[in-house]
Amino acid sequence: MRRGGEAVQTNDWSSTLAEAILANGYSTVAYVPDEVADAVVQLLHRNGSMTMVSVTREEEGMAVVAGAFLGGKRGVLVCQGSGIGNSVNALCGLAIGYQIPFLMVISERGRLGEFNPVQTPLGRALPKIFDALGLQAFWLDDAGRIGDVVEGATKLAFSSSLPVAIVLPTTLTGGKTFR
Amino acid sequence: MTRLDAMRALVRLVDDEALVSNLGKNTYDLYIAGDRPRNFYTWGAMGTVSSVGLGLALARPDLRVVVLDGDGSLLMNLGSLATIASQRPKNLVHIVLDTRTYETTGGQPTPTAGVTNLAAIGRGAGLTNVEEAATLQQFESAARRSLSEPGPWLLVAAVEGTTTTAKVPRRPIANKYRFMEAIGSGSL
Repeated sequence: MRRGGEAVQTNDWSSTLAEAILANGYSTVAYVPDEVADAVVQLLHRNGSMTMVSVTREEEGMAVVAGAFLGGKRGVLVCQGSGIGNSVNALCGLAIGYQIPFLMVISERGRLGEFNPVQTPLGRALPKIFDALGLQAFWLDDAGRIGDVVEGATKLAFSSSLPVAIVLPTTLTGGKTFR
Repeated sequence: MTRLDAMRALVRLVDDEALVSNLGKNTYDLYIAGDRPRNFYTWGAMGTVSSVGLGLALARPDLRVVVLDGDGSLLMNLGSLATIASQRPKNLVHIVLDTRTYETTGGQPTPTAGVTNLAAIGRGAGLTNVEEAATLQQFESAARRSLSEPGPWLLVAAVEGTTTTAKVPRRPIANKYRFMEAIGSGSL
């Protein structure tokens, strides 16, 4: 459930990213709750026009946005990079196998500044996973390019009929805080 | 009741509903019971069919979406029951054809052959419209109700598997386009 009434703690990149998602015709958002992307998800919730689906794992979210595509709607999956590891078979057997496009917005784990040792293996593997699957991923280092990258990734996803990833590195987001 | 009996009964009951089938024997038997443009057959990503159905149902509230799941597959994605219960799509009917075996991989028992009860898990996930069917008559009656009354529905049918020899065309991309056209999804 959303924390209704509370002010959303935003920053430049998260509000720009939420606006870019809204501006590119997406209407379904599946997400696995994440600290880094939380403000983006909350802003999309607050907009009121999006179908917001909090899923229990990432491959479930991929299937939800794939189903939305079958129903004629553009979908975004928001998750941590580790969740892509959970979802390789869904990417292959559903998204790539059926040529179903969607946008993946991924907050990076296991890279610059990571504090959790066991997050680092998937951090190392993530670019190679995308590469092995033949999927395109774009690391969004510059907050000034968010609008262009989301628009470009959207065009690419729906012209190639494949999922496209936008990865949010810790240099953009500041990363997850230790709790 | 065999799975094919249940599938044939369901196909007789549906009109313009979308049917989304789980990989393996559900896809085979749905094809045999009645191939139609509003059938979407999955061939992989085991476990995800209930979530595909959820995404479709949320995207198209005007369309009743019927998911044909298996016991082994649903056990791979039990979290989807919690998500469906939380989202409460009125137009989603989730049918589990429970053979108590992993049929496609050689008939090994699933946990529903022992102590596990998927209807109870569904209730525990927060679903309130949960039906169980052990006979074809019970299945038809529950299916009819789930197709006409607001959901989300979970219908767990105890069925016997069927040995399927039919050659079902494996054409996922053609199937996707045919399905989207049939349900009126515009180009994206």
